[in-house]
Amino acid sequence: MGVGDDKWVDRESGPVVRPYALTGGRTEPVTGVMLDLIAIVVAAPRGAGGDDRTGVGPEYRKILALCGQPATVADVASDTGLPLGVVRVLLADLVAQGRITVMRQQHGDRPSADLLEEVLHGLRAL
Amino acid sequence: MASAPSESTTGVPLAIFKIIIAGGFGAGKTTLVGAISEVRPLCTEEVLTTASTGFDDLAGVEDKRATTVAMDFGRITFGSHLLLYLFGTPGQDRFWFMWDELSYGALGAVVLADTRRLADCFPSVDYFEKRRVPFVVAINCFDGAAAHNTEDVRIALDLDPQVPAVLCDARRPESVKRVLISLVEHVLASGLASGTGPGRRIRLARSLASITGG
Repeated sequence: MGVGDDKWVDRESGPVVRPYALTGGRTEPVTGVMLDLIAIVVAAPRGAGGDDRTGVGPEYRKILALCGQPATVADVASDTGLPLGVVRVLLADLVAQGRITVMRQQHGDRPSADLLEEVLHGLRAL
Repeated sequence: MASAPSESTTGVPLAIFKIIIAGGFGAGKTTLVGAISEVRPLCTEEVLTTASTGFDDLAGVEDKRATTVAMDFGRITFGSHLLLYLFGTPGQDRFWFMWDELSYGALGAVVLADTRRLADCFPSVDYFEKRRVPFVVAINCFDGAAAHNTEDVRIALDLDPQVPAVLCDARRPESVKRVLISLVEHVLASGLASGTGPGRRIRLARSLASITGG
């Protein structure tokens, strides 16, 4: 993945700016927690003092705007058009800054039978 | 999506499920996801090498040196508070790391089998068996593919008796619907769902419309 790799030097090599340029080359979330694809993220309520977004980059702003309403990680990636891993890193930054709250981390728990019956009903009714 | 204002704030508990669609190259994963769900663009960051030329489904990523690859991603909305997300597995061996995170917390998986290249789905079956992710095998009945009965496929894949194997046509929503139903029924029957507890619901002040932009 080295930028200096020979295969990246000419126009034929494709995009010059690699996806992780947006994250300063970081590929791991700063929080150390991989957000699940269907975890729900939402922008933290703006405090009484107002949410100072000066100095926040355009990608962060875009994500914050999308997260004005609760959204899944997969949907945020889809709506921003940014690669999934990049979005995860950026979201983790925003979580660390207190600008984004993770509303749901489904890892570990199992769905109730009742809920699965609802899914079945829903599927049958499609 | 998120730009659309929430139409109501019912506070109905929201439930989101994830189902993995696996199978070999060209088994019909993209077709299946498109047949039943609202397909959404999603990409992940991987570099395709020439080694993958001729094997990958390169629709949408015709530049083989692209730094991102498209992932199959679809969403089904039931009523006001249930969402089912479908994710196709990236189809190359070196994407195994993605399978772990895809399958983590997943409701279950569909392994699409192409009887002309049945061996292609062996790794998927192995993977879900090892990880104890509930799955069904859906035998995609391609035009021109020799008719197989499910028993032959079961034997060829050495499937556990309780794992459902169903015939399907990945192009037809009705057929795909039956596949998903068989998966959810399988999860229920195998007791993989918890009998009690709140399940995977989350209380949201906002309705589902906030997620779907509906």
